[in-house]
Amino acid sequence: MKILIQQMITGISIGSVYALIASGYALVYSLLDFSNWAHGEVCMLGAYVCFMATTVGTLPYWLSCVIGIGGAALISLFNEKLAYRTIRNNGSPNMFLMIAAMGLSTTYQNLANVVWGSKFKQLPKIFAVGTININGVFIGTTDMVCLVVAAVMLVVLLLIINKTKFGLHVRAVACSGRTAGLLGIKIDRVIAAVFMLAGALAGLAGIMYGMKYNIYPTMGNVGIKAFIASVIGGLGSVPGAIAGAVLLGLIETVVSGYISSGLRDLISFSLLILILLIRPSGLFGVDVQEKA
Amino acid sequence: MKKRTLLAFAGALALSLSVGVTAMAESLDTENPVLIGYVGALSGDTALWGQAGLNGMELTAKQINEAGGILGREVKIIGLDGKGVADDSVAAYKKLVEEDGVCAVVGTNFSSCNIPIAAVAGELEVPVIATAASNELVTVAEDGTLNEYSFRLCFIDSYMGYLAGSYAYNELGLKTCAVIEDITDSYSISVGDYMVDTFTELGGELVASEEAQHGDNDFRAQLTKIAAAQPDVLFVPWNYAEVALIAQQARELGITSVLFGADGWDTSELTDLANGSLEGCYYISRPGFNLPDAAAYGEIYAAEYNVDLESECLYGNDGVMWIKQAIETAGSDDPKAIRDALENTESFDGLLGHMSVDPATHNPSRDAAVFTIKDDVVEYVGIYNPEE
Repeated sequence: MKILIQQMITGISIGSVYALIASGYALVYSLLDFSNWAHGEVCMLGAYVCFMATTVGTLPYWLSCVIGIGGAALISLFNEKLAYRTIRNNGSPNMFLMIAAMGLSTTYQNLANVVWGSKFKQLPKIFAVGTININGVFIGTTDMVCLVVAAVMLVVLLLIINKTKFGLHVRAVACSGRTAGLLGIKIDRVIAAVFMLAGALAGLAGIMYGMKYNIYPTMGNVGIKAFIASVIGGLGSVPGAIAGAVLLGLIETVVSGYISSGLRDLISFSLLILILLIRPSGLFGVDVQEKA
Repeated sequence: MKKRTLLAFAGALALSLSVGVTAMAESLDTENPVLIGYVGALSGDTALWGQAGLNGMELTAKQINEAGGILGREVKIIGLDGKGVADDSVAAYKKLVEEDGVCAVVGTNFSSCNIPIAAVAGELEVPVIATAASNELVTVAEDGTLNEYSFRLCFIDSYMGYLAGSYAYNELGLKTCAVIEDITDSYSISVGDYMVDTFTELGGELVASEEAQHGDNDFRAQLTKIAAAQPDVLFVPWNYAEVALIAQQARELGITSVLFGADGWDTSELTDLANGSLEGCYYISRPGFNLPDAAAYGEIYAAEYNVDLESECLYGNDGVMWIKQAIETAGSDDPKAIRDALENTESFDGLLGHMSVDPATHNPSRDAAVFTIKDDVVEYVGIYNPEE
C-alpha cells in the first residue's frame, strides 16, 4: 500500500511538469489549430536563461526564475511574431505553421548545443537533497515545492481563462476568430498574449525540470510527452491537457513500477494511437464551441 | 687529468647527443607522414569524452614529432565525428580508411559503435583500437570468431563487473544487492549482470533487479521497489548524468545503500551533478591520472588545452603510443603488419598502466583501480586485484 501511494506521488509529480507544458500546447492549438512543436524548446530555453541568470549573472535565485519565465515568454512571443504571424498573414495553410514550428525546434536545439555545449547542467537546488518522510512515504522537498507551484499556476491559468475579460477574448477567438474580430477583439493581440502565457508556463516547467533533473539541449523532447497528454485530454482543452498530463504521469509510473519500464513508452504511445482511433476528441471531448 | 678527460668526454657526448636530437628533428620526414585516424563523439551528449580523446592523440603526436617521429616520419592525426552513434561512427571509419588512407584508427569509446566498426574493419583490413568500448563483442563476434582487425585498450565489461561484485562482497562485506540496468545499452546490461553474478556466486543475495531506459530522467518508480527491498549495495552501471539522478532520487526515497558503479561514472562532472548524494559510494575504473606518468601528462594536457581533465585523453595517448610501438616492431606502417604486431603485444606500458594482449581474444590484461566519493570529492583507493 505504501509503495502504491509512493508510486502515485511520483506519478503526479511527473504529471505536473507535463501539465504545465501540455496546457501551453492546448492554448495555442485552441486558437490556431496547429501543434506548436517548438514549445518544448521554449521550455529548454527558459531553463537555460534561468541558469545563466543565476550562474553568470549571479542574481538571486527567485529573480533568476522570474527572468527565466519572462525570457521563455518573450521567446515564445518572438516565434509568433517572426514565423507564425507572417505565415497566417500570407494566408498559407495551417500545415505551414507546424512545419515552421518543427524548423524552430531543431534550430533552437542546435543553437543551445553551440552556445552552451552538450554538457549536463544543473540549477542550484533550493534545498539539499532533502526528503519529507510521512509514515514511510517519502516526498522530495524540491518535488513538493514544484508540485505546489505547478498546481497554483494551473489554477491561476484556469481562473484567467474562465473568469477574466482577457480569458473571454481568448475563448471568443478560439470559438471563431473571424466573428471575434468582427466584434472588435484585436485577434493578433490576443494570440500574442496567449503565446506569452504559454511561453511563461513552459519556462516554469523548464526551470522545474532543471531543478529536479538536469538541463541539456535536448531536454525539450519532454514536449512530446506533454503533447501526448494534451491529445489524451482533448486537443485545445486546457483542463483536458492538465488531466491528461496527470493521467499520463500516473500511467508511466505504474507501468514502470508494476509491469516493466521497457514497456512504458510502448504503452503511452499505444494509448495515444488508441485515443486517436476511438475518441479523437480526447477524454474531455470538447466541441469547437468549448475550446480553451 | 683523468677527471678532465672524463669531463671532455661527457661534454663531447652531450654535444653529439644534442646535435643528434636536432639532426633528427630536422630530418623529420613531413612529406610522407604516418596517418592515424580517430573516431569519437565530437558533438552531442558525450562530446566531452570524444574531444578529450582527440586532444590526447594530437598532444601525443606533437610530442612524438618533437622527438623525431615514428621511424623518422611525422605523425598526423585525422579526427572525424562519429557523434557517439553507430552509423556515423562506421561512416567515419570508412572515410578515414578509404579517403584519407590512415594506417590505423583509434576510437570510439562506445561498444555500440565499435561492434559494427569491427565488422567493417575486417573487410577493409585496417586495425581499429577501441578506447573505452568494453563489450566483449567488440573483439570477438557472437559466433566466437575473432574480429581480426579490432583491438581495445580497456578491460572488458565482465572484468569491471567481476571486480565490482568481488569488491562489494569481499572488501566492503556487503551481503544483499540490487541492480538497475539500462535495457537499451549493452554496456549497462553486461556490467550489471556480471556485478550481480559475481556477488551472488560469492554468497551474496540479489533482492531487487530493475530496468530503465537511456533518456529517462525519473527513476523513482523503479527505486521505490528497490527501497522496499533495502539492499546493502545498489549496482548502478550507468553513465554519470543518470548516475547523479538515480543517486539523488534514491536518497530522496530513503535508500541508504552503497551505490556501486563502473567507468561510466568516471568524469569530473559526477560530483557536481550528484549534490552530495554519492557520499561513501564506489566505482571501478582505470587508474586515470593517479599513476605518476599520467599525472605529469595531465599537467601538460591541461596547460595545452585549458580544459578539465578527462581520462579519455590518456586513451588517446595510449592509442597513439601503442600504434607507434607496433609500427616500430613491424618496421613499417602497413596496416597488416601493424595488426600482427598489435595482436602479439606481450608488454605495452602506457599512461594507463601496464598491459598485455591475449592473441585469442584481443582483450588486454591490465590493472584496474577502485575509487570512492568522500566529502564530495572522488578519492583514489588503489589498484584492486582480487587474486592477490
